[in-house]
Amino acid sequence: MNAMKVILIATMLVASNFCSSQQWITRNGSVEFFSATFVENIEATNEMASGLIANDGRFAFRVPILGFRFEKALMEEHFNENYLESTRFPNGTFEGAIANWSDALQDGQSHTVKAQGILTIHGVAAEREIESTLQWDGKAWIVQSAFTVLTAAHEIPIPKMVREKIAEEISVDVQMTLSPR
Amino acid sequence: MNTFSTYSFFCCSLLCIGLLASSVNEVHGQSLLDDLGPSELAVHPVYATFKDTRIINVQSNETPGQNVMHFVIAHRFGQINEGAYALWGLDNASMRMAFDYGLTDRLCLGIARSTFQKTFETSLKWKALQQNSDDSVPLGITFYAVGMARGDSTFAETAANRTFTNRLSYTYQAIITRKWSEKFSTAVVPSFTHRNLVEFIDNAHDQWTFGAGGRYKLAQRISLNCEYHFLLKGLKESAQNSLSLGVDIETGGHVFQLHITNSRGMFERAFLTETTGRWRDGALFFGFNLSRVFDF
Repeated sequence: MNAMKVILIATMLVASNFCSSQQWITRNGSVEFFSATFVENIEATNEMASGLIANDGRFAFRVPILGFRFEKALMEEHFNENYLESTRFPNGTFEGAIANWSDALQDGQSHTVKAQGILTIHGVAAEREIESTLQWDGKAWIVQSAFTVLTAAHEIPIPKMVREKIAEEISVDVQMTLSPR
Repeated sequence: MNTFSTYSFFCCSLLCIGLLASSVNEVHGQSLLDDLGPSELAVHPVYATFKDTRIINVQSNETPGQNVMHFVIAHRFGQINEGAYALWGLDNASMRMAFDYGLTDRLCLGIARSTFQKTFETSLKWKALQQNSDDSVPLGITFYAVGMARGDSTFAETAANRTFTNRLSYTYQAIITRKWSEKFSTAVVPSFTHRNLVEFIDNAHDQWTFGAGGRYKLAQRISLNCEYHFLLKGLKESAQNSLSLGVDIETGGHVFQLHITNSRGMFERAFLTETTGRWRDGALFFGFNLSRVFDF
């Protein structure tokens, strides 16, 4: 009988342990960015973003920089070769915790949350609070976010010659659906 | 009894593993990023081995992307040792205009015209193999074939020899490249040139050359380039090996190439088999290329 108790407790502990690390994940999230100046608009999309939310509100997002597709092949090469240095810094990441996280978010309504964490682009980390909407559709989390990135904040140099073509403030759009792991 | 104690031992172990796992999770929990697993595109084809589709005279492994028109205006000035009277050669410019169109990301079709010998070119370039970032493919191999037709009226000694077929020559190349680091790339380029008509009776119609080239990036948008072509036997002794040094400067959609070379012509037959200038005599030519891409 004693042994049975131990089994029960052990099973519960192990099970609760697995429960506590419930996670939702995606590997094909979409990230778009847009640079607008009066001379030229530059747009790129990436369908290879990974995202993870744990049920304690912590999250991690990762975007392979080489996965951004541009309208012009040369722009894509310059983006990777000259600006983001993608071989040295292959991923952009955002990692942290959702500030007002609670189980009540899982009610099917769309909620605006604050994602607080460290945004790392071009190997340069910056503390950010990014507003996002989060909605539980019964099976998965739908995450949407729009925010801006300052090239200077991540030490992405823009030479004088192309300053009229590349905005200092880049708009980023994120859309992801995170399913249980 | 014995079985019970085995059970409890098993359960205790399970408990311990469970607790351990949770503590590991917490330590690991410092970075959820690790839970995402290996990064996408960690292995990818190597890009930007060279800045432009040419190293200096010779083709590099690069092709314009699909539906991209790559337009080059190349200038080659006169001999530097002509001195101040000809402004060190700058008075005598020859020009080459080239349009290369990317049919796919790896295949490109080109046409060009040089004022030198009034030559037309048509070419085909195919990136057959791309180097991979994890060295599972350590080299890139690109094939280049070009047909050249000279159009000058003074060509050949006798009018009877000025037939269309006699004006033709062909070059076939394999461009074997490797990007060693962000800054340093090299190329090895064996070439075969066939000339339907040769100027000297003892010159071979078929000529092999063995070329090597490289680039080193001095800054993000500036690279130092060089190339050399060694003539394997077949030509008269007056024929020189082609040696060129240059700088690439990239500015957004343009690449400027400045160079010094002992070759006058800017197409394959001319710089591979008809180079006459000697570096030690100062019989050098200053060259200036401007390339621009257009997307369709």
